[in-house]
Amino acid sequence: MGVEIKHKYTFKNLSKQEVWDTIQDPEALQAALPNCEVFEEVGDEKYKTVMKVNMGAIKGEFTADVQQIDKSEPDSYRLLVKARGKPGEIEANAKMVLEEIAEGTELSCEADVSTTGLMATVGQRMVGGVAKVVLGQFFKDIEKQAKQAAGQ
Amino acid sequence: MEKMVGQRIKRKEDPKLITGNGMYLDDMKIPGLLHASIVRSPHPHANIVSIDKEKALKHPGVVAVYTGKDLEGKINPVPTSWKVPGMDLIETKQYPLAINTARYVGDGVAMVVADSKYTARDAAELIEVDYEVLPSIANQKEARKDGAPQIYDEVPGNVAFKYVAGEVTDEDLENAEVVMKGSYNTQRVAPSPMETRNSLAQYNPGSGDLKLYVGSQNPHIHRMVLSEVLNFPEHKLHVKVADMGGGFGGKIGVYPDEALVSYASMDLKRPVKWVETRNEHFQSANAGRDMMVDLELAGTKDGKITALRAVNHANIGAYLATFGPGNPTIDFGLMLSGAYKIEKAQCTTYGMYTNTMSVDSYRGAGKPEVTFMLERAVDDFARKINMDPIEVRRINFASKEEFPFTNAQGLIYDSGDYVKALDRAVEKSDYHALRQKQEELREEGRYIGIGISSYVELSGFGPSAVAGAIGFQGGIWENSTVRVHPGGTVTVYTGTSPHGQGHDTTFSQIVKDKLGIPYEDINFVFNDTRAVSMGWGTYGSRSLAVGGNAVGLATDKVVEKGRRIAAHLLEAEVEDIEFEEGVYSVRDDNSRRKTFQEIAKAANFAWSLPEGMEPGLEEQTFFDPSNFTYPFGTHIAVVEVDIETGEIEILRYIAVDDSGKIVNPTVAEGQILGGIAQGVGQALWEGVQYDEKGQLQSGSFMDYAMPKANFFPKIEMEFTETLSPVNQLGSKGVAESGTTGSIAAAANAVMDALAPLGVKHIELPLKPEKVWRAIQKGGAES
Repeated sequence: MGVEIKHKYTFKNLSKQEVWDTIQDPEALQAALPNCEVFEEVGDEKYKTVMKVNMGAIKGEFTADVQQIDKSEPDSYRLLVKARGKPGEIEANAKMVLEEIAEGTELSCEADVSTTGLMATVGQRMVGGVAKVVLGQFFKDIEKQAKQAAGQ
Repeated sequence: MEKMVGQRIKRKEDPKLITGNGMYLDDMKIPGLLHASIVRSPHPHANIVSIDKEKALKHPGVVAVYTGKDLEGKINPVPTSWKVPGMDLIETKQYPLAINTARYVGDGVAMVVADSKYTARDAAELIEVDYEVLPSIANQKEARKDGAPQIYDEVPGNVAFKYVAGEVTDEDLENAEVVMKGSYNTQRVAPSPMETRNSLAQYNPGSGDLKLYVGSQNPHIHRMVLSEVLNFPEHKLHVKVADMGGGFGGKIGVYPDEALVSYASMDLKRPVKWVETRNEHFQSANAGRDMMVDLELAGTKDGKITALRAVNHANIGAYLATFGPGNPTIDFGLMLSGAYKIEKAQCTTYGMYTNTMSVDSYRGAGKPEVTFMLERAVDDFARKINMDPIEVRRINFASKEEFPFTNAQGLIYDSGDYVKALDRAVEKSDYHALRQKQEELREEGRYIGIGISSYVELSGFGPSAVAGAIGFQGGIWENSTVRVHPGGTVTVYTGTSPHGQGHDTTFSQIVKDKLGIPYEDINFVFNDTRAVSMGWGTYGSRSLAVGGNAVGLATDKVVEKGRRIAAHLLEAEVEDIEFEEGVYSVRDDNSRRKTFQEIAKAANFAWSLPEGMEPGLEEQTFFDPSNFTYPFGTHIAVVEVDIETGEIEILRYIAVDDSGKIVNPTVAEGQILGGIAQGVGQALWEGVQYDEKGQLQSGSFMDYAMPKANFFPKIEMEFTETLSPVNQLGSKGVAESGTTGSIAAAANAVMDALAPLGVKHIELPLKPEKVWRAIQKGGAES
């Protein structure tokens, strides 16, 4: 199997529903994904995206199919990602769970990520770190947008 | 004059190489040269649905793109060259480019040929391969289980072969006073020579000759096998090896890549070069080891080992490598009892196909693995019966009076004095003082460990009749031609293929002692199938024991022909001609003399030769030894483990090795030293990492720990000399001994250090994290 990635993010002063609405909005998603050039809905809960990644040995353009399944608003959903680029292929299966806590809403992401090509043979040890950085930026941006939407 | 054999002579080879005057394959530039890049499967197991090469073909500078389907019927599969009788081998077809299915990460699926290597690599990225990913598996024990992914329809259970050597019954074990079980696995490692693999093919459409430069340890084997793969006549195929930066077994194999480059050169009628990148090397160069061994050991309470029964699951990768099937069955299986007189031994080997790169010989090839198993087990046995590990070894050694000694599986060891090497190592290390110090330091909470490993090696390959009996698809004799030029200088040709071993130096020492001419007057030619008539290359620690002796024997023939010419010119009887220090003279009348140079001229001019004698002074020998040679020794490692961090420091390393007659101690020490670095590297740091599906995760030196000089203290080396009776010099192999002895020495030292904490075994490599975890668990199996 690939790498297991666990990441938690706290959206301060936001309710589950507020976070959910933003994270389900394709426009908000495209804006939040770093270097995302294309984000098209191609079917029911299916999207096609093109993203540029530049982190050490992992460098290049990735074309990804993203799909959301098992949606249970506003508590949880599952994200399936299949990305392909010159450095290799990435397959991720992420369980996203939202939970209201004292400070706001905590989103926990548990993903199993497998890779091929250079991504695997020389990038494996960086996948966890890169994912943390990307997810961190992503959630921070979503938080900003959710706050704007909530008029905060 | 003092003999040169036995002296520390500086290596002849080095001035050229260290002043930048070497010529490695990648240095070669030929007009019209094209460059190849190979597209490799990123999946461990996948059907190739389609390959779109249009974009690559349109890329400026691209000359050709080939896929497996393009080459179908044009190049034959690359075969294995070791088929042991009785192993029921299922050999699958390794096409130079996979046609329908890729079976490991790195399996070639297409090749781009372009006018520069950068263009070739850029265009390779433009090739779009549509794969259908299939279930896959990397671990050989898992691959044998019911329900495991099947790699070939025609190989049920993924078992490529099963081989049983020797017999040990359940009663042999049940009736023993002490029975012990253990798993002793040697992980997969990457040979990692400084220079990666490469080849350059140059087809001449006018003459129909194909000249192939290839990074090979055995150019004649390459010629023989590639002739079959390419359907190309052997006499038109000229294989040469440029200066080569190491092999360690990884360049024994005949690979698809060399066949591809050759085919492309013939097809395009232009020279084509391919040089492996380091990342490619990790994917597609034959790996070493990867044996998972379960051992049962029976013995008595007073330390005698009575039986060994092992099951070896050997990972052989997705395809059979050139020597792949032989290493676990013969080199490992028949050496199970090592240096000990153990009545009964049985080794059952399963050769398992998996979705990983092929496994072939790597420095020691089976012997380091079996020595690791045995020497770790002997230590565990000693601990179990509460006896000093030195003592257990002493009790079980074959004694020097018993040689030639027949081991439990019928191999006949040529000569040995195991106690002598052990005693020297004990003395040199000051073993008993070390034990005392160990006790004292434990009081202070410091954990040092002393690891012993006594090995015996199967080396000096070898007698060709035995090669036949064990299914090695070739001979293992060696050939040498000594050509004396009119001026008295000499060119010597041999079929061994040095790539760092220093044959030019050591073999010249042998010739110098026999001919008495200046050392500088001797020159060697190797690594060229047109210059050297036939030979079997360099591996299995065979070069000196077989090739060096062939050189000596051919030189003897030259001396004898010279003696007959001298007798003729000096008008004396042949029996009365003495030859010393390069001068033939008549016994009892030193004034009647001819120098070797004068005889060389007389022979080449042929104005006056004995009646019936042919002109010239050139002799050839084919030397087929009567037996292998069995070097041996004892290594002692002293380590300290920081139990807070799991970090291991090597405090001392003592190696006492016996390789028979040592021709050049400096060269021999170089071999032992490098070998120890590779063995200790295996024990402590190195390891190829696949995930369970066979996705490679260690594809660079950032992900694969290579031993470095500063990881080691000064290695304390010494030789004992027990001559081999099977060759003129009395020499044995030396190149693999360091590796064979050192894995267990290092691992035993760490286990010895951790014994008071209840740690019994940790899987190799002993990285700090694993060591730390084992310490936390204490007695629990880690």
